[in-house]
Amino acid sequence: MTERTFNRVSPLQDVALQGRFGADKGAVGVSFTVRHPMSIVTVIARAGQGAATAAALKGYDAQWAGPDQYFVLAEGRGEGALYRELKAKLAGLASVSDQSHGRVIIRLVGPRARAVLAKGTPVDLHPDAFPVGKSALTQMAHVGVHLTRVGADTYDVSVFRGFSESFWEWITEQAEEFGYQVI
Amino acid sequence: MLIPCPHCGTRPVEEFTFLGDAAPTRPTTNDPSSMEAWYEYVYLRNNPRGAIEEYAHHSGGCRSWLVVSRNTETHEVFGAVTARDFSKAKDAKA
Amino acid sequence: MTSYRLDKGGLIDRSSALRFTFDGALHVGHQGDTLASALLANGVTLMGRSFKYHRPRSVITAGAAEPNALVELREGGRKEANTRATMVELYDGLVSKSQNNWPSLDFDVGAITSLASSVFVAGFYYKTFMWPKSFWEKIYEPIIRRAAGLGTASKLPDPDKYEKSYAHCDVLVIGSGPTGLMAALAAARSGKRVILADEGSALGGSLLNEQEEIGGQSGLDFTRGVIAELSSMPNVTLLPRTTIMGWFDGNIFGAVERVSDHLRVPDPYEPRQRYWKIHAKRAVLAAGAEERPVAFGGNDMPGVMTATAMRTYANRYAAAAGRSVVVFGGNDSIYRTARDLKSHGIHVEAIVDSRKDSKADAAGVPVLRGALVADAVGGKAVKSVHLADGTHINCEAVAMSGGWSPIVNLACHRGKKPVWDAKLLAFLPPDNGPAFTVAGSAAGKMLLSECLADGAAKGAVDGKPIDIPTSRDEAFAIAPLWWVKESHGKAFIDYQNDSTAKDLPLAAREGYSDVELAKRYTTTGMATDQGKLGNINAIAILAEATGRTMDEVGTTTFRPFYTPVSFGAFTGPFTGHHFQPVRKTPLHDWAEEQGAVFVETGLWMRSSWFPREGEDWLASASREVLNTRGSVGICDVSTLGKIDVQGKDAGAFLDKLYCNTFSTLAVGKARYGLMLREDGIVYDDGTTSRLAEDHYVMTTTTANAAKVMAQMEFAHQALFPDLDVTYVSVTEQWAQMAVAGPKSRATLQKLVDGLVMTDESVPYMAALEVSIMGGIPARLFRLSFSGEHAYELAVPADYGSMVARAVMQAGDEFGITPYGVEALSIMRIEKGHVAGGELNGTTTAGDLGMGKMVSTKKDFIGRMMAQRPGLVDPNRQQVVGIRPVNQADRIRAGAHLLKQDDTPSMKNDQGYVTGVAWSPMLDMWVGLALFANGRARHGEIVQVWDGLRGHRVMAEICDPMHFDKENKRLHA
Repeated sequence: MTERTFNRVSPLQDVALQGRFGADKGAVGVSFTVRHPMSIVTVIARAGQGAATAAALKGYDAQWAGPDQYFVLAEGRGEGALYRELKAKLAGLASVSDQSHGRVIIRLVGPRARAVLAKGTPVDLHPDAFPVGKSALTQMAHVGVHLTRVGADTYDVSVFRGFSESFWEWITEQAEEFGYQVI
Repeated sequence: MLIPCPHCGTRPVEEFTFLGDAAPTRPTTNDPSSMEAWYEYVYLRNNPRGAIEEYAHHSGGCRSWLVVSRNTETHEVFGAVTARDFSKAKDAKA
Repeated sequence: MTSYRLDKGGLIDRSSALRFTFDGALHVGHQGDTLASALLANGVTLMGRSFKYHRPRSVITAGAAEPNALVELREGGRKEANTRATMVELYDGLVSKSQNNWPSLDFDVGAITSLASSVFVAGFYYKTFMWPKSFWEKIYEPIIRRAAGLGTASKLPDPDKYEKSYAHCDVLVIGSGPTGLMAALAAARSGKRVILADEGSALGGSLLNEQEEIGGQSGLDFTRGVIAELSSMPNVTLLPRTTIMGWFDGNIFGAVERVSDHLRVPDPYEPRQRYWKIHAKRAVLAAGAEERPVAFGGNDMPGVMTATAMRTYANRYAAAAGRSVVVFGGNDSIYRTARDLKSHGIHVEAIVDSRKDSKADAAGVPVLRGALVADAVGGKAVKSVHLADGTHINCEAVAMSGGWSPIVNLACHRGKKPVWDAKLLAFLPPDNGPAFTVAGSAAGKMLLSECLADGAAKGAVDGKPIDIPTSRDEAFAIAPLWWVKESHGKAFIDYQNDSTAKDLPLAAREGYSDVELAKRYTTTGMATDQGKLGNINAIAILAEATGRTMDEVGTTTFRPFYTPVSFGAFTGPFTGHHFQPVRKTPLHDWAEEQGAVFVETGLWMRSSWFPREGEDWLASASREVLNTRGSVGICDVSTLGKIDVQGKDAGAFLDKLYCNTFSTLAVGKARYGLMLREDGIVYDDGTTSRLAEDHYVMTTTTANAAKVMAQMEFAHQALFPDLDVTYVSVTEQWAQMAVAGPKSRATLQKLVDGLVMTDESVPYMAALEVSIMGGIPARLFRLSFSGEHAYELAVPADYGSMVARAVMQAGDEFGITPYGVEALSIMRIEKGHVAGGELNGTTTAGDLGMGKMVSTKKDFIGRMMAQRPGLVDPNRQQVVGIRPVNQADRIRAGAHLLKQDDTPSMKNDQGYVTGVAWSPMLDMWVGLALFANGRARHGEIVQVWDGLRGHRVMAEICDPMHFDKENKRLHA
């Protein structure tokens, strides 16, 4: 089946404007990117299928999202393609729901990214406690977030679409003191 | 107060919603003669000074229901298990 | 008067000139000054008026415990009342004002209370202003509030930012004096994550104030060396200007960092203050000890201060408290003060030592042994002192020391009480276990060498302390010295509350000898300083007055916060626009284009109505209803909770959640469901559709979406863990719009791919997965809340606004209108559909007319309790329709229903109106009500009594369905 794409409008399209903002202290402390459009699929293992589901997700960008639950991510896929693929592949093993439009992923990169996130989450982000590849479900600024350390100084924060504008305003304000850019 | 979530690690109490005493067990029968047991299950709760096992929902995290054992007097938290494991352990005992 | 600035010394930058004002007068200080030190250096000793007697006051301390020198700092929205001048770092352009005086600090009319002070004793307010009761609120309280009180708050918005942050560490060290530095160093060298916090403007604690020798160098050089080492370590975070203000459960510490308080205006990108929540695996309290005043007559006069404060002003700030000084106390601290002052060229008249046997080095200053200062003599400044034996000594300042109190506050915040040590004459901190230890003088270690060693030991990891540098110790010996009873003048215990030594025995005589009662009766230990200076003296006097030991009297409860915390710090960024997050639907942009007026529903912004030129909400909503019922309308229903329920046992699980049955629902169909609480009361309602054998999608009301999700999670995990089911909120994935009205099918037909929409292909309560507009996946439901032939169309959210525009275009030829929550609400009342007003936490399925839905064949949440006699009583209030007898009358929601001839009173109450709407279809106000045994009383005429608005009309009880009773339109 061919994958088709349609013109998806990010809820941050008119909000996350490119440019450099906040304090000027030389290099920016944080760079923000809205990862859009993304394919995001929730996978929840059926009873007793936790290990089998985890094994079946090998090779996918699958992030822990609760007990026996994952967000599987992909870029550049057609509308609903990843969802259909996983639904077929995991039939009988896991429940699959498309969340590609329901969540917005904001990427933070930079030496002060961790300091910005620490203004919101009680999760200890020290690399010993929160190494690359680890995800956490937590709250920031009264909004539930899914947080993943993608690299040493790179984090993805995923929030419900409806909160994304409010959350964006908050998190960029927290980065003002370090100077930030939106790419 | 810190709660050791079995899934998420230690998190502050602000991420949790407490429901109360986890001791009452939902009756398994709908027989009219069981009304008294239902009444106790729905309404009667102990309010101990000291150790208690309480339902807590990790509403600001992994959304698991936990049973947290703690001391109401000293606020010491002894540990937490998932409500699922707690329930199954209770069934096994019964 | 010449300047009181010493010619040399001090940690001030003499090349800087910082201009500041106090009560409008311009002064100049230096970088490194506090407001207090700069005022003293400028010869300004009158800094405030006391709370009750309006006595002239100056500084008593040089630090955080300052009770007297409270000023209003800054102006306008940045004004901050009750700021301790001892903690305010001087900056250029600082504006400060004295408090609690009228018309001026120098001439304060309120000081007359001092002359009449015999009546202003402890408990005065309670004794005097008792009668009549009504006078309290209107007359006494305002007068007392004006006469007594501290600074006034600004009524302007605070223009500055505040911030919150979390921090985590292995070892938190609180206080950066000799103990704290060694503790931090020991922990840091082992590679642990260390946070070192200190409330001072610079790290170093007492080492910045004293002349010490450590490791063969000055205390200052030692401090600089340690700070340099700590700064170079990536595992160490240094937090100067940061007060650890509370110790909480889980070894979490609250802290306030004063990021910009030392600046005239914060940098635009920096907060004024940052509130830290520090999660510490282990913490070491190295807060030091506070020197106690001595209770003697006039011990509050400007020029009288603690011995340590006086030598701190000289050593650190190069400011002299007076040109000639008397030093008085009962421990060796006074000798050190005399020597330090002498080294700065300040003349010390005498050391007055209450003991007869001190061996400390007086450096040639005359010592009067076994002597007591009874009174300071003067007014707005000290002129001399009278000793108890009648000796008279002229001086400009008095340094006093009653002893040392370890700063144990934080160690007592979780309930344990400190323990009295009769040898040290101090309350020592309780044992809180290894997660929070106390070190140095905060733990009663009174020698510098002990502090260095104790800090190193308590900070050490795995029992590996670091090398301890050599140091020179001051002598420490102490005898009790609380209250010089030979005094003639007022001897103050609690300066901030103007309570005197005599108030405490009085409180005991009047029955308030318990320390907590004495506190409230005399106000000792209240207000912003919480008795940091006075409490121990108060306990000693209370102990003596009642013949108890210090331990028997005990301390009052130590509670957070250690020092006052601004509201701004607690609020952080969550103010104004950020008070709570805003949640927008995927159709928000489309609705905005259509001119929607939005209403907050929980956190959601919902389109409420879509006014055209000149329309108010009612005109707009009425037009939207007529348009929808006449042709077609479109409404954003994205806020309804949507939950994917999947798995082998999905149907069985839904059967547990709902009082009706879902396991029998056919694939491709939707069913209305009613969810009860375990106590039998209705919890929520909504439609659930079956998309596949093992896949349902359930909807909840907007208001209960999160609660229902939590209830499902509880039901599955705690009650029915063996069910093989999963559930996840997909609310945000789908933009959902209701398309309603006789032309809804014709409108949607234009968008749906490859499906001829008929009553057969899309029957009432159909739930289909389709595609629209050439491939966009969609869910199409034939559901109706409006009572019209209607659909709900769900599409992935990013396409929401685009699809809504396409629907508008498709419906253009039919005159489609967007409609909002108001029109929706009108239509549901016309049709008698229940909503929040009826699902209000008191109603049963039977009350709502849905008793027949309740299954008797299965177990479900709420089944048993719903059968209780009280919940099935026929006389319960049931949902009915209500309409005015006179078509022109208006019914109001919330109004009560009475029998036709009853007198209006709650005794005759029969029910109440739960919702009303102006029906454009019926041209009258119609409503729904809960009415006793209502279903059997259709046709009865009742009074609708709105006692609140003084309004009463006659109305008829009727079927809830006001409009299209046969549901012809639904199936048209």
